Amino acid sequence: MNQILVIAWREVTRLRKRFGGGASPIAVILLLAVLGLSGFALRDTVSLGSGLYRVGVSGDVPAIQDSRFAVVEVEAGEGRALLERRVIDVLVDGAQVIARRDDKSQYAVRALKQYMEKQELVRIGSSYAEGQAFPLRVGINYLNPYQAPGQNDAGGAAPVTKPEEVIIPSLTPPPAPFTQVLVALIYIMPITFISIFFTSSFMDEKVNRRLTVLLSTPVTPFQIILGKMLPYAVFALVTTALIATLTGGDVPLALGIFAPTTLFIFAIYLMVPLFYRTFKDTTFIAMLVTTLTTAYLVFPAMFTNVNDLAYISPLTLAVKMYRDEPFGWREYLFPSLPMAAIFGFAMFAGTRMLNEEFLMGYKPITRKVADAIYLVMAHARPPVAVTLWSLLVIPAVYMAQVVMLAFATNLPVGLILGATLIASALVEEVVKTVGIVVLAEHGAVRSVRAILGLSFLSALGFLAGEKLLLLVSISMVSQASVSGALFGAGVFLLIPLAAHFVFTAIVTLLRTKLRFPYWLALGIGTAAHFFYNVYVMRGGM
Amino acid sequence: MIFPFLAVVKKELGSVIRDRTIVISILIQLFIASFSSGLLLGMLSLYDSDTIMKYGGAGIKIGMAGASNSPLESFISERGLTVVPFAALADAETAFYQGEVSAIVFVPQDISSTAEIKLYLPDLEAVSSLIRMVIQEPLKQYENALRAQNGIEVRYADLKGKPSTSFEFVYSVLIPMLMFFPAFVAGSMSVDSLTEEVENNTLQTLLSAPLTINGMIGAKIAAAVILSVLQCAAWLVLLQLNGIAMQNTGWILLLALVVAGITSTSAALGAVLLKDRERSQFIYSLALLAAAAISTLLNVSPITTLSRLAIGDFYTNGWNVALFAVFLAGLYLLLLKTSRRMAF
Repeated sequence: MNQILVIAWREVTRLRKRFGGGASPIAVILLLAVLGLSGFALRDTVSLGSGLYRVGVSGDVPAIQDSRFAVVEVEAGEGRALLERRVIDVLVDGAQVIARRDDKSQYAVRALKQYMEKQELVRIGSSYAEGQAFPLRVGINYLNPYQAPGQNDAGGAAPVTKPEEVIIPSLTPPPAPFTQVLVALIYIMPITFISIFFTSSFMDEKVNRRLTVLLSTPVTPFQIILGKMLPYAVFALVTTALIATLTGGDVPLALGIFAPTTLFIFAIYLMVPLFYRTFKDTTFIAMLVTTLTTAYLVFPAMFTNVNDLAYISPLTLAVKMYRDEPFGWREYLFPSLPMAAIFGFAMFAGTRMLNEEFLMGYKPITRKVADAIYLVMAHARPPVAVTLWSLLVIPAVYMAQVVMLAFATNLPVGLILGATLIASALVEEVVKTVGIVVLAEHGAVRSVRAILGLSFLSALGFLAGEKLLLLVSISMVSQASVSGALFGAGVFLLIPLAAHFVFTAIVTLLRTKLRFPYWLALGIGTAAHFFYNVYVMRGGM
Repeated sequence: MIFPFLAVVKKELGSVIRDRTIVISILIQLFIASFSSGLLLGMLSLYDSDTIMKYGGAGIKIGMAGASNSPLESFISERGLTVVPFAALADAETAFYQGEVSAIVFVPQDISSTAEIKLYLPDLEAVSSLIRMVIQEPLKQYENALRAQNGIEVRYADLKGKPSTSFEFVYSVLIPMLMFFPAFVAGSMSVDSLTEEVENNTLQTLLSAPLTINGMIGAKIAAAVILSVLQCAAWLVLLQLNGIAMQNTGWILLLALVVAGITSTSAALGAVLLKDRERSQFIYSLALLAAAAISTLLNVSPITTLSRLAIGDFYTNGWNVALFAVFLAGLYLLLLKTSRRMAF
């Protein structure tokens, strides 16, 4: 523990020195200016389409203050001429709205409608009594559709499962959680920024070989990583608490939600400097990682309350928090456990990779990844290592598949399912076989029998992990038919086990015994897996 | 003089292509583009009541009980939902539990100036929020009808138009993102390639060649800008092939070039002053965020200019691009004045 604190303190000193010079005042002023200005600018530009429409206005019209509209004051007759000449898209003449028939003008009308509706409500609300201005109350009651009231319940009120919720239709906020997701995203930005510093620090020490010196002292790699991470993690959590206070969130709850996310982001950024080759590489890989994680976090959260799959992202929990909607332990653990698991896995992999030979080796990235996997696998006897590997990488597989689903939605509708199936089959085959292939390349396994045995164990570990995950999530995502496709939920465990074993064995044997290139072996295994999945989904089993 | 300059440009471009970093960058852009359009597709199909109604709104059956000739009934069926009338609430509930209707609306008999109606929904989050979305518009129309009874006139209530979300997304998010992300990468690349020379102590060697420091920095910026313009041109072709109509493509490409110039020049300025990668990248990203915010506030945002060029806005033309070019010239002049500090 003491060692960790010493390293953490050293890290703080290093940062202070680096930013103590000329850059720090500039950085602080810029940071403040950026936060203030972007907050101010974002306030009314959260809507899409800034500056897209030109509106002509004549007569008594409420002021149009929306970033989408550029307003021109015109005479009514002149306005019509401008509309015909396509100088303006729509003309508001008193209470009358005049548009052309083409698309652009019609889009402007719809955008105007959304804006005017709001303005009219403000006007009515301020000039009439509330009862007159908002004459409709809707009491919403929820009934359990599977549980009809008993016979003796003679026509009375139906059993309601929640207290009545009374709404005024025109004042009900839209169901899309745009604003809350944006607020939740404010938490992610500083965490990403902070972890980029963590990456930079690691790289810096790697380049000037201070890390090598540190490794020759009696501290363990685990202590080094944890010590270097500690100041940044503390800083990230303090920022989270600060944002929660500023945005009126629940501080302990926000910390609970974002702590696993912080660990997850740190885990990914720990991997970047371990694999990097040049400065440019690190910049690009960091960019890639940032976009992928942001996508992974934001995409599901957009579907809060519409699809239970939304709980994959912890941002959904934050959205719920800001909407004052409760959630339970299961909903909390669903996104948090995989993230914590990935952090644990990354820490373990990091300690294995933190040695001079690996850090300083200058090899192609695929070679480096293979070396890293070997280092992770070589800590135990092959059978144990292979089984554990397949079991433990499940959360990562599951995250990769979600990201792929996001990619696939861009395809034509007919292709989405097929593409997702192929991609998920590919990911699963990579995960199950890569360990065995790497072990065989290092000569740790040789005979066909040993490879078959390991393939079986790999399939077993993978299936066990998959079913475990399914067990945790089955009540959460039972409505989403996609999850069934993603995780290939079979009814009988033996058939999927046999299938997984066969595909794994195909890939590993083709690679190690027949010397096929890995991508080709993988392609064949994936194809087999894909057709099996299609067969299962068609109701074959 | 021109040959060493070209040699540096060639070396920079070569290293980018050899390291395959550019592949990652293109992958990121592809991912962001497909991800955001996927998001839009999802949002539209789940949150936009027009889209929901288009694909299977008629399948949603709403039971109506209570007052027999309420205008709400016609509003709901005009929306495209199926209305099933019932004599009493109890009958409607029986139908609900037998799965014949998805929700029940109960309108009391005596509606005066205000109405309190009841909506019964299934206790399934996904289904109930879907019904609440599609029934929102009829409820609002009913509210306006009640307001009219009270003598309150609501203006602009009968506007129709076409759903504009996709249009707004393509021209204000997708196209600017594809045109300006390469510029952002260009700046990052300039920082890396300049600070790398300092940190690897190769700067002095490079300067001993027949090349001034301004020539060296200029060559690195030129390489970054060339790369970014090539990507933009490729995206423009792909967008056109996807059937996205764009006006003023020449000006758009020029604007993308100028913006890439601005980002790489300001990035180089940061690198010249700070000389190490960690701080330069940080300041560069912050400065970019600040510039985006400030330009939006001052109403000269390159993003808006680009959107307007692409949709063929009457008031937007080459002069708007020229404004950014002037700014770039000023920034580059500043870089020329300060670049000597790098060698020390």
